[in-house]
Amino acid sequence: MQTLSTDVLVIGGGATGTGCALDLAMRGIRCILVEKGDVTHGTTGRYHGLLHSGGRYVTKDPQSATECARENAILRRIMPHCIEQTSGFFVITPWDDESYGDVFVANCHRTGVPVQEITVAEMLRREPALNPRISRVFEVPDASADSFLATHSVALAAREYGAEIRTYHNVVDLIRVGNRVMGAIVEDLRSGERIRIDCAYVLNAAGAWAGKIAALAGVTVTVVPGKGTMVAMNHRMVNTVVNRCKLPSDGDIIVPIHTVAVIGTTDVHVPDPDVFGIEPEEIQFMLDEGEKLIPGFRQYRALRAWAGVRPLYKDKDVASDRDIPRTFKLLDHEERDGVSGIFSIVGGKWTTYRLMAEQTVNELARRLGNTQPCRTASEVLPVPRFEHRAHAMVTVSPDPAAQTPHYWLGKPLALVESEHAAADLICECELVTRDRIVAAIDAGAHNLDDIRRDVRMGMGPCQGGWCIYRTANLLYERRCADGLSHTHANEAILHFLQERWKGLTPVLWGDQLRQARLDELIYAGVLGIHRLRALAEPGGGLVTQHPAIATEYVQA
Amino acid sequence: MDHIELSLIQSLDHCIKCNICTSACPVAAVTDAFPGPKYVGPQAQRFRHAAQPVPDASVDYCSGCRVCNQVCPTGVRIAELNARARAQIVAERGMPLRNRIIARSGLVGRLSSGPHAPLVNFTLNFAPARWLIEQVMGIHRHAPLPKASTYTFRSWFKRHKPATNGRRPQVVYFHGCSTNYYEPRVGKAAIAVLEHLGFEVIVPPQRCCGLPLLSNGDFPAAQRYHEYNVAQLLPYARAGIPIVGTSTSCTLTLKEEAPELLGLHGDDVRAVAAGTYDIFEFLRNLHEQGRLRTDFRPIERTLPYHPPCQLRAHRIGRPVLDVLGLVPGLRLRESRAECCGIAGTYGLKREKYQIAMDVGKPLFDFVRASGQDLALCDSETCRWQISGATGVATRHPIEILAEAYGLAV
Amino acid sequence: MYDTIVIGAGLSGMLAAIGRAERGEKVLVLAKGHGATHWSTGCIDLLADVDDPFAGIAQLASQRPNHPYALAGPAMIEQGIARLRAIGEAAGYPLAGSLNRNLLLPTALGALRPTAFAPATMIAGDARQLRDGRPTLIAGFAELRDFFPPLIAANLRAQGIAAEAAQLTLPPTGRQRDFSPMTLARLCEQPAFRAKLGEQLAAHVRKGGYARIGMPAILGLKHATEVARDLQNQAGALIFEIPTLPVSVAGMRLYQILEDELLRLGGHIQLGGFVQRAEGIGDTLVAVFSEAAAREQRHTARRWVLATGGILGGGVRATPEGHLRETALDLPLQAPDGRAGWFAPRFLNEQGHPVFQSGVRVDQRLRPLDAAGRLVYENVQVVGGALAGYDPIREGCLEGAAIATGWAVGQH
Repeated sequence: MQTLSTDVLVIGGGATGTGCALDLAMRGIRCILVEKGDVTHGTTGRYHGLLHSGGRYVTKDPQSATECARENAILRRIMPHCIEQTSGFFVITPWDDESYGDVFVANCHRTGVPVQEITVAEMLRREPALNPRISRVFEVPDASADSFLATHSVALAAREYGAEIRTYHNVVDLIRVGNRVMGAIVEDLRSGERIRIDCAYVLNAAGAWAGKIAALAGVTVTVVPGKGTMVAMNHRMVNTVVNRCKLPSDGDIIVPIHTVAVIGTTDVHVPDPDVFGIEPEEIQFMLDEGEKLIPGFRQYRALRAWAGVRPLYKDKDVASDRDIPRTFKLLDHEERDGVSGIFSIVGGKWTTYRLMAEQTVNELARRLGNTQPCRTASEVLPVPRFEHRAHAMVTVSPDPAAQTPHYWLGKPLALVESEHAAADLICECELVTRDRIVAAIDAGAHNLDDIRRDVRMGMGPCQGGWCIYRTANLLYERRCADGLSHTHANEAILHFLQERWKGLTPVLWGDQLRQARLDELIYAGVLGIHRLRALAEPGGGLVTQHPAIATEYVQA
Repeated sequence: MDHIELSLIQSLDHCIKCNICTSACPVAAVTDAFPGPKYVGPQAQRFRHAAQPVPDASVDYCSGCRVCNQVCPTGVRIAELNARARAQIVAERGMPLRNRIIARSGLVGRLSSGPHAPLVNFTLNFAPARWLIEQVMGIHRHAPLPKASTYTFRSWFKRHKPATNGRRPQVVYFHGCSTNYYEPRVGKAAIAVLEHLGFEVIVPPQRCCGLPLLSNGDFPAAQRYHEYNVAQLLPYARAGIPIVGTSTSCTLTLKEEAPELLGLHGDDVRAVAAGTYDIFEFLRNLHEQGRLRTDFRPIERTLPYHPPCQLRAHRIGRPVLDVLGLVPGLRLRESRAECCGIAGTYGLKREKYQIAMDVGKPLFDFVRASGQDLALCDSETCRWQISGATGVATRHPIEILAEAYGLAV
Repeated sequence: MYDTIVIGAGLSGMLAAIGRAERGEKVLVLAKGHGATHWSTGCIDLLADVDDPFAGIAQLASQRPNHPYALAGPAMIEQGIARLRAIGEAAGYPLAGSLNRNLLLPTALGALRPTAFAPATMIAGDARQLRDGRPTLIAGFAELRDFFPPLIAANLRAQGIAAEAAQLTLPPTGRQRDFSPMTLARLCEQPAFRAKLGEQLAAHVRKGGYARIGMPAILGLKHATEVARDLQNQAGALIFEIPTLPVSVAGMRLYQILEDELLRLGGHIQLGGFVQRAEGIGDTLVAVFSEAAAREQRHTARRWVLATGGILGGGVRATPEGHLRETALDLPLQAPDGRAGWFAPRFLNEQGHPVFQSGVRVDQRLRPLDAAGRLVYENVQVVGGALAGYDPIREGCLEGAAIATGWAVGQH
């Protein structure tokens, strides 16, 4: 067995884990990060993409609100290419308690969340699709964030600082000697090989899976996986984040992100973060709630539904799941459970990932005798190659706003237009060019789903109808010299088609059902992919069917 | 947001990316400058945002022919999405002087027609003058410009005495700019036919329907024109008096283009839209009700007929074929060409002239191959394009109908 | 007033209209737009996964008496196909194949697809011939994003076919970018362009000794047979086309010859006419209304053919609440009870998804029935994808069922 050695072994390639890896590496601490899937494979890649202003927490969880407000400003600075400055509204609809408006404003002031009331007329001027029966509107600095890209940027920076990031590496055991955790045994899912990683500290940043990791060390961490279901609508009927002005509940937020508007979320506690389904009632409920914010909401096209599991940490002294705070906590298991060499960072939310990393690494650095200060709040993150070239001047629009370092909705189109790349689009819905797909392949994609997360391939209305075929072929042509055979390419297509199908079935009606049937005509009719099943097998450096990364949808 | 507006916005959701529109698009077929209706329409629309800079430019190469709408199996209003996107470009980046001028067909017509028309026509036929216009204005030197008339239709109508008097059903005639300033004979034929059928024809004050402004993206100006026309036509529409027009583009604009593109869905606008008819649509309705006179003289001719894009956009079939099919001896051969290319003012523009000629080529070949010296088409700019490209004379079908009724025009 | 109005311009509707027009009727095809012909392969699939499709159909018809094949009957299948082939033949676009033996043609992934008839431009790709041990070249263009020779060749090799891959250099054209299948098809109609292609193919054949060359189905739109023949002569090898993703050039050719035939027979076609509602008196359909500028257009006819397709064609539409609706005439539908029964958990599940078998239930004469089995309209017949109780894509009978039912209603 290969043995590696490092100072800190970070488990979990979500926002928190990669954030910790970067912070450790920036301070000169050696670290290896292992993630059983791709970066953002877990909850980070399955949320609605809200950069919180803090407004959603001002009443129930003021500490989280204040943390969000601070981090919001920092993230806009360090990852502008991941953030679209959409702004956010908290609106009081006829279904909400009118009196909460004043409470909301007072609590915003108390927690440091910037807020300003605007008139309903102004709201309708900016967002004509919103319900004219809304009575009050409060504007806060919400924004939308690309959590895939952000985490990739963090991972890229971490690598540049010397961190080693190993995706598709699953922790099969923690090495415990007496009361000390000394390292881990991990399996490389691509080859099935096992690797031993010795380290001074294990940092359990596995989010909703943190309880499972902690159990390997023989300690109990109660993480209540809170399933949140979301639905992406085909286009942005609003360009501002819209929240219901009330205590957070199901289906009360619409986030415009990239080309879609995401309505979310539900909150259902599930026993296992790997086993959950999307219930038809959840979808119907969110459509109904959407209707209250945007009349006619049901008539818009739904693209896809998915669910993420919130890593809600239940402290030993919390009686009811309902009272779990949304803030985070660093657990020192030596102090807490008498097992040294392992920490768990639990709870929290995407917006505060950097702060979580900072506080976690402060503690680890202290233990390791490292005195370097945290610099993650000031250093601007790099842009991965598969992203639109950040330096590309957008010549189509003379408007200086188009030159912003921040993401803007029209940016992909402006770039395609300026490069006359219309005919070179592999994913036409999301305007992904051949160059970007190839860059994502060359960056080490391990299946088509990785490429999807990298460049949004297959995330538009046709859900891969054309681009799965095209991308799989590019993958084959690019990697066949490295041992990727036709059987692996065939498997990649079959795997990704099935991955898409899981998210589609809950929202198949109207145009999307028609689209699914056209996709079926393409793959089962014109291309006959099912006839190649005997010529499909996992491998070639791809990971497609491993049980460690399979999410079991119980019912769709 | 009312439900009509909502349905237009939601129409982009219907796109299943199937490429049928792009494969049928006559512009994409002949130029790289236009990436196709799917790309600039429902696809690009997902990246547009009213409060952000306009991200694209190639949508300006959409000619607005609406072939995409017609072949789309799912009902995406592609041409409307494109027209609105162009208006956003114009609102943000302004409109070239050339487009400002050619979009004001009423103004240009007023300045060109009248007793001095021969001088204007001479100048516009004079190659060095056209070269200069191309250099200064960007209007292609070979683009087909109509001949100004020495009198306007309205001046003729003022002096016109109907053959019979007494109480007759009324009909409003919307002549449009081309009939008024360039081809009064079309209006005279329409009046003759309508009066022959027993109608009293009213010609209220009217301005340009606004289509050239809409297709060049000047929505605010188009809205002013449309509001004027609605105000003038509304009393008739409310009284149940049909409004008929010989320009398929003007009638389409009143019926649908202006309300939909400008988002005007009030009762007045709707009443005028619902009361407006293409003249052959109106005549076909009369025939279906048994009220169309069929005292036709035989016309032993076989003529090429091109149903213009703006007529197809009415989505009413081929009323010209249905009505002229009643004339003994007359056989019309329908062109199956997608578009003549001119698309109103599109083919006049220096950078688009060649595209327009390439788009129209199958039609020109069809007209030439017919061996006839006359072709029929309901739309004025298409007639000028066909004649300009082929040298074959063109007429509005109403002129043939007048001839079939034996009416002197 | 028409004798017959056909709603829908797919294969079934066009054949029904041609059949009626041939009998001297005044016929209108009223359609929202183009559809299934433009998406599919341009081949005639009768029944997949059997060696003898005609025998397979007979067996299927005996087991499933409500299957469109059973309702149309074997004579209509034979005659409909014969008529379609005659139309193709007359248009210089022959369809080759047999009712009794499926061809196995390569797809753009290198799978082998069974189909009964294919245009002459595809026929040389039959796997039984490809397996003769002589080398086959799969040739495409790097600029075309819908055809990738290396994977096709690799998958064919794995199935016992000596295939190799090559990218051709695009001859100079007036275009700089945008080489879609349609663009390439138009370019192939230019003799100079295809002469240059032919030279390249000949060079490959000289070097590799290929007996056959598979190319994307872009060999012309109106003169495909001629384009393929020219290239074949120049290359010195047999050429076969492989259908590409929608929009399908080969499918468009099929539509084109049908449209030409219908117009030749005096029929009318109105595209952009979306039929939204019906007007009936008792069990007689009197008129339909199509969407139009400012107001609906009313159409009247003595007889009607509903050929709007199923969920893909747009004839059946589902609501978020889980109801299915027949879009043109609001006919009762036969469909699974509620969303829970619509889908299988696996996308490529062998049996397909029950929701896609939703459609109109009909009597022996293809007239619509309600849930109780009562006739809804005596002067309406339903054809093709709009019919209930079968899955044309999964059964591999998309074109066959459309032709059989379309031709049947064109006859009685």
